[in-house]
Amino acid sequence: MLTLSDLVISFGARVILHGLSCSIEPGETVGIIGPNGSGKTTLFNAISGLVPLNSGTILLKGTHVENLHPHERAHLGLGRVFQNFGIFREMTLLENVLLALESRSSLLRGLLPWSSSSKALTEEALSYLDQVGLAARANEKAASLSGGQMRLLEIIRTLALGSDVFLLDEPTAGVSPRMKDDVANLIKKLQQLGKTVLIIEHDITFIQKFCGRIIVLNEGAIVLDNTPENVRSDERLKEIYFGSESAA
Amino acid sequence: MSAVLEFLTSEYSIHLVILVGMYLILSQSLNLTFGLGQLFNLAHIASYAIGAYTTALLSTELEMPFFVCITASVALSALMALLLGGISLRLTTDYFAVGTLAFSSVITALLINWKSLTHGVLGIPGIPRPEIGRTDYYNNSAFLGLLYIFVVIVLWLSYIAQKGRFGRSLRATAEYEQAASTLGTNVGATRTIAFLISSACAGLAGSFFAYYLNYIDPSSFSLGEMIFVLTIVIIGRPGSFWGCIGGTVFLVLLPEPLRFLDLPSAYLGPLRQLLHSVILFAVVWWKRDSIFPKQRKV
Repeated sequence: MLTLSDLVISFGARVILHGLSCSIEPGETVGIIGPNGSGKTTLFNAISGLVPLNSGTILLKGTHVENLHPHERAHLGLGRVFQNFGIFREMTLLENVLLALESRSSLLRGLLPWSSSSKALTEEALSYLDQVGLAARANEKAASLSGGQMRLLEIIRTLALGSDVFLLDEPTAGVSPRMKDDVANLIKKLQQLGKTVLIIEHDITFIQKFCGRIIVLNEGAIVLDNTPENVRSDERLKEIYFGSESAA
Repeated sequence: MSAVLEFLTSEYSIHLVILVGMYLILSQSLNLTFGLGQLFNLAHIASYAIGAYTTALLSTELEMPFFVCITASVALSALMALLLGGISLRLTTDYFAVGTLAFSSVITALLINWKSLTHGVLGIPGIPRPEIGRTDYYNNSAFLGLLYIFVVIVLWLSYIAQKGRFGRSLRATAEYEQAASTLGTNVGATRTIAFLISSACAGLAGSFFAYYLNYIDPSSFSLGEMIFVLTIVIIGRPGSFWGCIGGTVFLVLLPEPLRFLDLPSAYLGPLRQLLHSVILFAVVWWKRDSIFPKQRKV
């Protein structure tokens, strides 16, 4: 589904990713952990097309996407959820979802007098909002939502886009403990739909709920790639987070 | 009652309504780029000038008919946007403003110095009013009717562009460009189309301006004019369709009462500009957080 080969990214003299390679199978849910500055978000930005690669290739569903724009990757089925909430706060909830649904059609069609969103499209958008219990607030501005609700809106909006591969960057950041369960349930739903999910998360207990595989990044390279149990018991994890003395 | 009716149908009132109509096209089209797309487009008056000079030259030098002049004005202004957009839309917000301002200065310099074509500061006199079939539009009431057909079309298209899918995409790119692009929005195409439509409409307004005044010179397309249209969009709240209409009516008509004051004409012009500056300053200060919100980044 997603194959990364020898990804190298540097900002000036600073190398962020050092020839990173891995392969994600269809329907797999993979957790990505690592200390701050290890290159997790940069990796997602590279897959999304938001930062250019110095070298390396990215295969998405068999297509080389490393030279494609972010919107072209989105049309190929790549969905992104941002750590700092990628929703459009000045728009209503309905508009947020409509934007995803409408991106399937040509932009120029949006200029035609009869282009205003059809009733069917609005109903489809409302049905997505209903799945996360936000349909009643469809016409409110997204800025009025809590952190947890914003996260639910962002994930369901990505589902409305028709994504097959979900890149979730810290989906529980800024979410209250009570709403973490709602976010977890939505991720489980993505799994049930057969979606491929990559989750960056600091809370290893949280991602253990879904992930059969965890990748540990440190200084732009993959240090561990194993089952959650094996990762947790690996001394190298403690070494990365607490230093070599603690591991000893 | 009859006095009111007489005033409303007077040449003076018709002149004001014509001015409002031309500025409605100009401000609503700037609202698309500056208001909705938050593109600090300072080349809008350059597009207006290109439209005006295209109509002036085609109608005086080549005696081209109305629809040819107006189509050429719109097309040339749009072509200019395509060329300028290809370069400047790659720039980030502040640099985009500087780039469009520089382009605007180049156009002004050309209008002044390319004397063999534009007649420099002397301008182009004797621009005939439109003639369609056997009807001419030398009568201001008839001209007003013709202008408002285009005003209504532009406002209708602007409304559709702003409220529908295109407007949503443009607003999304303004608020959070990276999130919009990962949600399938072609940011470059969205901005280029907005810039193109905006510039084409400014060219249309320029064409009507040349037809109406029968004379144009570079002084009508100064930075002061750009600031005036920018003020309209800002006081109407950037991105607001109805606010922009209200702002246009308010600001175009605002200086008119000054004419009835017993002041020397040398003071009236500067007083009008002073009034606009004070209003712009007050609104920008009062609404400083919402007029230019920070764009979010990943």
